[in-house]
Amino acid sequence: MSDMTLFKNASIASAGAKELAVSDVLIKGGRIKAVAPGLVVEEGVRVVEAGGKVLLPGLFDLHVHLREPGQTSKEDIASGSEAAINGGVTGIVAMPNTIPAIDSGGLVRSVMDIAKRNSRIPVYTTGCITKERAGEEMTPIAGMKSAGAVMLTDDGSPVCNPQLLRRAMEYAREFDLPLASHCETMELSGQGAMNEGRVSYQMGIPGIPAISEEICIARDIQIAEYTGAHLHIQHVTTARGMEIIRRAKGDGVNVTCEVAPHHLIFNEEHVIDYDTHYKMNPPLRTKEDNERLVAGLIEGVFDVIATDHAPHTDFEKRQQDFASAPFGITGLETALPSLFHYFIKPGVFGWDLLVERYASEPRRILKLDEVAVAEGSSADLVLFDPDGTTTFSRKFMCSKSCNTPFLDRELGGRVNMVMSHGEVLLERD
Amino acid sequence: MIEPRKDLLQIADLSREEVEHLLGAAQPFKELFKRSVKKVPTLQGKTVLSLFYEPSTRTSSSFEVAAKRLSADVTNLAVATSSVVKGESVLDTVDTLQAMRADYIIIRHKQAGIPNLVARHTGAAVINAGDGFHAHPTQALLDASTLHDVFGGSDFSGKRILIVGDILHSRVARSTSCILAKLGADVGVLGPGTLVPEHRPEGMRKFSDFEQAFDWKPEVIYLLRVQFERQGEQFFPSAGEYHSVYGLTDERLDRVRDQGVWVMHPGPVNRGVELADSVMSYERCLINQQVENGIAARMAVLYWLKPQLESTA
Repeated sequence: MSDMTLFKNASIASAGAKELAVSDVLIKGGRIKAVAPGLVVEEGVRVVEAGGKVLLPGLFDLHVHLREPGQTSKEDIASGSEAAINGGVTGIVAMPNTIPAIDSGGLVRSVMDIAKRNSRIPVYTTGCITKERAGEEMTPIAGMKSAGAVMLTDDGSPVCNPQLLRRAMEYAREFDLPLASHCETMELSGQGAMNEGRVSYQMGIPGIPAISEEICIARDIQIAEYTGAHLHIQHVTTARGMEIIRRAKGDGVNVTCEVAPHHLIFNEEHVIDYDTHYKMNPPLRTKEDNERLVAGLIEGVFDVIATDHAPHTDFEKRQQDFASAPFGITGLETALPSLFHYFIKPGVFGWDLLVERYASEPRRILKLDEVAVAEGSSADLVLFDPDGTTTFSRKFMCSKSCNTPFLDRELGGRVNMVMSHGEVLLERD
Repeated sequence: MIEPRKDLLQIADLSREEVEHLLGAAQPFKELFKRSVKKVPTLQGKTVLSLFYEPSTRTSSSFEVAAKRLSADVTNLAVATSSVVKGESVLDTVDTLQAMRADYIIIRHKQAGIPNLVARHTGAAVINAGDGFHAHPTQALLDASTLHDVFGGSDFSGKRILIVGDILHSRVARSTSCILAKLGADVGVLGPGTLVPEHRPEGMRKFSDFEQAFDWKPEVIYLLRVQFERQGEQFFPSAGEYHSVYGLTDERLDRVRDQGVWVMHPGPVNRGVELADSVMSYERCLINQQVENGIAARMAVLYWLKPQLESTA
C-alpha cells in the first residue's frame, strides 16, 4: 500500500486564520508534502474526500492522568493513549501522581518504556517536584530530566512549603523545566468536596472556597517572579485567579496557565442530586466564572486548554456518596466534540483558537516540534465532521473508565480520522 | 388526592400541598395518643428497618415508636457509627436489606447525600433521618406540625421565625427554614459570623445581634444545638462567650416573655449555652411538644410513602 494520502477539499483549521481555508492536502512519508487547492491525483495515492469536513492538527493534552503504575483498574498507558486517539489527541503528558509517584529517573524511564511499547502516539511524562509528592524533600530533578521528564509537578497537591517551592524553582530553572502548580491552600479547602457557595450550602456538602485556589496562585506567581522560573498554573477555575495571572503576565512574569473544558462548560448548578460526575478538584465554580473564563480564553489569558483527564472506576464514582467519591472526570475523548458543540458551533470562538490553545501552544511550552496543517509539518491530523454527532456510550469510549457527565449523551461533531506521523490510527464514518 | 412518593429525602422535593397533606395526616395521630390504646393496624405485616450510622437516641426511638404504633415490624440494625463508613458499604448493607424484603428503610449518616444514593438503589421507601449537614426532613415536619398547633393552621404567612446558632452546619436549620418558607413564614437567622453562611437561601435575612433580631419582632425563637466537636476547628472563642452573645439568657427571656414569643429547640439542649436553665420551664417553651409531635409526624410519613417493591400478592 502506498504511503501517500490526498485529502480533497478539506476545510483547514490553523492557529493564525480566523476562517477555515478549503484546500487539498497531500501526505507523503509521514509529512505534509503539499497544501494547495486542486492538487492532481497521482496514481497510487489514497484519496480521502474531505469536502465539508475540518482538517486540523492533532491535539496535544498537557494534563492527563494515565494511572500507570499502580492504579491500572482505572486506566493504563495503553487505554489512556487509545482514549486520546479516540478524541483526536495525538500527544499527551502524564501526571506523576501514580502509585508509586513518578519521582525518580528510574520511574520516568519505566513510564517512557511502557509508553514506547504500548502507545501509538507520543506520551510524555512529568516528574514530581517533591519525593512521593509529600511536600518535604526535592526529587532528583536532573536525573528525571535526563530520563525524559518534560515538566515538574506535584499535581493533585500543592507544594505547601513556600521555601521548598522556591528552592525547587531555583534549581529547576537551570534545567529549563517548567514547574506546574496545582493551586490550593489545604487549610482553606479542608474537607471540601465542591465549590463553596449557595449550592454547597443547600446540599450540605462542605465547600472549597475560591480563595483556596486564588491565594495559592498569587503565592506561586510571587515565587516565580522572585526566582525567574517558568511557572505553569494548572486548571484555573476562578475569574479572580485568572485576573491574578493576567496581571502577572503584564508584569513580565514567566507564567503560563491552562483551563479545562469542564470549567468552561459546567458550574456548581450542575451538581444536582449528588452526581459524582460533577465532582473534581478544583471544583466547578459559578456560572459567572464560566463566562469570564471563556472571555479570558478568547482574550488570550489562557495559554492552553488541557483536560485533566482523571479516570476512576464505576465502582468508585457511582457506588459512592458525593463526599467519599474521588475527585476527577475523564476528558480526552470528549474535549474536542464538547468544545465544538458548546463554543465553535454557536460561534463563541473559532477553530483558530482551538488549534492555538489545544495543539500549538502546549507543544511550544514543551519546546516540541510544531504541528500544523502546513507543508513540511509532521502529518499529525484529525479529520472532523461538523455535521456528524457523537454519542459517548460505554462502547464508544476507549478509556477504561467512563466517569464523565457526557456519558450516554450526544454532542455535535464527530472525529472521522486520526493520523500520527502519516499513519492512520483511527478511521470511522 | 395527593399521590404518595417512594422516598422522603429532603423537604425541598415536596410541594406545599404535600407538606400540608402530611401536616393534616399527623393531626389524627396526635388525637390517637390521648387514648389508652395508641396503636392502629395500618402497617401490619410491613417491615421497617433502621440504619443509624450516626449515634442517635431521640430520633431513632421516635421512629421506632412511630412505626410500632402503626403496627409495623421494626428492627434497628446495629451498624458502625464511625464516619469512615462510606457509600459503598452502605449499599452492601442495603442489598442485604433488599434480601430481607424491607418495605421501609430509615437511614441516618454523617455524609450528605447517602439517603439519595440508597434511594436510587432500592425499591424500599427510604426516609432520611438526617444526613450530614444536608437535611432532616422529619424534624422539619415535626417543627411545622408544632407551629401548626400554635398558629392554628398551616398558613404561616406573616409569621416571623428567628433561628439562632450554627446555621452553617445544621441540617435542622436547612430543612426547617425550607418548610417554614414553603408555608409562607419569614425566616431570619442569627449566629456567630463563622457559622452563618454568606450564601443563604433567597429571602432569609440575617441579624447581627439579639437587639436587631428583637426589633424584627419574631413570633418564634428557634435555638439550634451547639456542636462542640467539629474536628478541632474553632468557630467561636468559648461556650461562655457564645452564651453571652447568642444564648437565650434570663435577661433576654424576660423580653421574650413580655412579647409572648414561643421558644423551640431540636434537642438535646446544652443548658447554659444555647439557653438559660429557666427557659426550660418557660410556659411558651415548645420543646416537649416537638418531641411528642415527632412521633405523629413520622407516623404520617410512614403512612404516606409507598414502597415500590415487586410482590406477588
